[in-house]
Amino acid sequence: MALAIRTTGLAKSFGSAVALRPLDLEVTEGEVLGYLGPNGAGKTTTIRCLLGLIRADAGRAEIFGVDAQAHPAQAHRRVAYVPGEANLWPQLTGAQTLHLLGRVQGRVDEPYRKELIERFKLDPSKRVRAYSKGNRQKVLLIAALSSRADLLILDEPTSGLDPLMEETFRECVREARDRRQGVFLSSHILSEVEALSDRVAILRAGELVEVGTLSEMRHLSALSIDADFDTAPPDLSKIPGVTAVAVEGNKVRCQVVGSVEPLLGVLAASGVHQLLSREPSLEELFLAHYGREPSARSGESRAA
Amino acid sequence: MPTTAGNPRHGPVSPVRLETGFWAHPGTVRRTGPGERRAARTVAVLTARRAARSAAVWGALFGLLILNEALSWRRNFPTASSREKFAHTLGANNGLAAIIGPARQVDTIGGLVAWRLFGLLIIVGAIWGLLAATRLLRREEDTGRWELLLAGRTSRRHATAQALAGIGAGWFVLWGLTSAFTVVAGLNRKVGFTVSASLFYATATTVGAAMFLAVGALASQLAPTRRQANGLAALVFAACYLIRMIADAGTGQSWLRWASPLGWIENLRPLTGSQALAFLPILLLTAGATWAAIALAGRRDIGAAVLTRSRPPRAGTRFLGGAGVLAVHLERWAVLSWTAGLGALALVFGVVARSAASGEVAVGSIEQQLGNLGAHPGGPEAAWIGYEFLYIAALLAFAAAGQISALRGEEADGHLDHLLARRVTRTAWLAERLGFAVVFVFVAGLATAVGGWLGLASRHSEVDFPAMLQAGLNTAIPALFVLGLGALLYGLVPRLAMPVLYGLVLWSFLIEIIGSSISSNHWLLDTAVLTHLGPVPAADLNWTAITALTGMGVLAAAAGLTAFRRRDLIAA
Repeated sequence: MALAIRTTGLAKSFGSAVALRPLDLEVTEGEVLGYLGPNGAGKTTTIRCLLGLIRADAGRAEIFGVDAQAHPAQAHRRVAYVPGEANLWPQLTGAQTLHLLGRVQGRVDEPYRKELIERFKLDPSKRVRAYSKGNRQKVLLIAALSSRADLLILDEPTSGLDPLMEETFRECVREARDRRQGVFLSSHILSEVEALSDRVAILRAGELVEVGTLSEMRHLSALSIDADFDTAPPDLSKIPGVTAVAVEGNKVRCQVVGSVEPLLGVLAASGVHQLLSREPSLEELFLAHYGREPSARSGESRAA
Repeated sequence: MPTTAGNPRHGPVSPVRLETGFWAHPGTVRRTGPGERRAARTVAVLTARRAARSAAVWGALFGLLILNEALSWRRNFPTASSREKFAHTLGANNGLAAIIGPARQVDTIGGLVAWRLFGLLIIVGAIWGLLAATRLLRREEDTGRWELLLAGRTSRRHATAQALAGIGAGWFVLWGLTSAFTVVAGLNRKVGFTVSASLFYATATTVGAAMFLAVGALASQLAPTRRQANGLAALVFAACYLIRMIADAGTGQSWLRWASPLGWIENLRPLTGSQALAFLPILLLTAGATWAAIALAGRRDIGAAVLTRSRPPRAGTRFLGGAGVLAVHLERWAVLSWTAGLGALALVFGVVARSAASGEVAVGSIEQQLGNLGAHPGGPEAAWIGYEFLYIAALLAFAAAGQISALRGEEADGHLDHLLARRVTRTAWLAERLGFAVVFVFVAGLATAVGGWLGLASRHSEVDFPAMLQAGLNTAIPALFVLGLGALLYGLVPRLAMPVLYGLVLWSFLIEIIGSSISSNHWLLDTAVLTHLGPVPAADLNWTAITALTGMGVLAAAAGLTAFRRRDLIAA
């Protein structure tokens, strides 16, 4: 499978501030990579280096094997980009902007563009100046998606979109993936990344701290267990893989990494009458890298 | 429904519904509470700080120029005969009078300081005023920052009034510094201006800035973007200036001075028989435009404009076929306006050339002046046109700097990202934009040649079209150099490019106007690009200077292209 993006040791600093530490990352054709990180983690810097809009201090960025820093225009032949901020020419209409971006892109699937205009419910006859933020974002999304580029680089693509349009966007990304287009999706919206991404990369302070599929990440992460006992709970802290044991009356909360079999054996022998186990959500995985507790829990499974 | 909070002294009280739809307790309902006043003050202080920065720079420059002019008078003209000669040669020069106003009592120090700097500083002050007002009002609205301020405890009308108060504080800095330097100069015993005369002169010099601050503020309410507000205010300025020029060009139309706000300022006559009455229309216009700006700000929606197109936008895709032709689409109205404006100015110069250059004194003075500049004295009209076309060359250089400003704007606003993230190379984009600017410069030069020739032909002048074509080409040369230098600055230091480039162009302009009659300081004259040009058609084209300026421009542009390829894109 061809590599859509490959970075090796890609690094960038702005003066004394390190924006991106040496980054090694790959995105393959037909894959959606979710690129996560808090503000200032280096997501946009990565994208701007990939596109040659800023010069990397070190390393190499390739798009379909073309050095994007040395030959940006050649690399861009197979790329469509949606920037984080929808700064468009205010004096042009939506239709004029789409025409211009299509001509500069070099290829447009015009019937698909018409279809996208309808699906995103965009009125292209208005001037960009008169558009809301969401509508300006739609123009950029339509321009990128209608190019049918082999690689879509999307930086916060749904900012300003309403929930209905967000759903339309997700459908379009799934269609793109089905057409074997690669998607590099930088987003703050964890549910969006969770719903769309085949793999997730988490960036912290310019450094890649985690990359893999969600199931791989979950497998490597702790499973959260809540157990209710008829009587006083047994001591679970000595069971291999069990950590963070908290006892409250007849209730115990703990986390387990690796096999749950030893824990289940002890629980079964100790008169447990209710057991709750839960895989970590993407939010919990993400926040785990930043030393914070998740704000909400989801995806619970119950066993008695 | 909000909850009712108890009052510790008088028991529970019911909240009341305000006109805004919010609820408040009776004791907190005020028309303008301390919170509102604080919010309004914040807008004023914020605006004042930003206005004062540039005002301080210009105020110091104005003041230093006045100080230098006053203190060097005796050194430059040590004897009565030298003063008389100066008054005879330059005082009767209608060409100079058209540009910077008529000379009065130029054999006295007051007359000299008033004439040499007054007209020029009025122009610079007015341009500063209109640009500062649109920057601090319409630009803030364009960027969305104004919305943030309006979300506070203020209203559109209040906030605009306070912003204008802040801008007024900025003008006060300009006036204060200009006044301080003028008073210091006046107190020198060799100069001997009274304090009141110095203050009158400083006020008259800077009142144009105040007037065009108000015009810029009004244009900011009328036009939908800062760029269009600038265009509108510049149109008003150009009309005022053109009327004032015709009035001062020795055509017997001096009454027209009262038809132009710039003429009103001239009629103040500081240091040469002051006429304070002329302040009246100036104050009325400034107050009226300020009041109208505040009233319109209160009535219109944020982001909207009074002058909006009633017809829907055209959906044509002409000049949208690629990054190169996009420049034509984006800049066509700006370059057409400049081309038409410069062509019209040249036409006026041509029409008034015969009367402006008539009379023995005038012709002799112009030809002598041209002789000082290295020209071969020719016919009187050619001499007059040659001198005026140097002024057109300065304006075209400003227009060229505007094209570099447009380039930087594309990058600063993030528009360039959309092109360079696609199949457009940096080299191609910058080269195409520069190419477009070069074509514009030549077309504008051609327009001045045609305009000037038509004007001259209408008065049956002997100056022929080929000579005027050379004059038009001559005006394009400094602009080409500015484009090259601008490309270099843009490639190397994008954020500093425009202040440095505009500063250099303005410096060249100031030196050309002020320094052209002083032959003692050659290094100073050499820093002005215009000094190196001959006053064509009275002189031959200076091919050495043309080759040098064009060559340096091309080299600078090539270096700029290389630097641009290697640097990061930098937003505003």
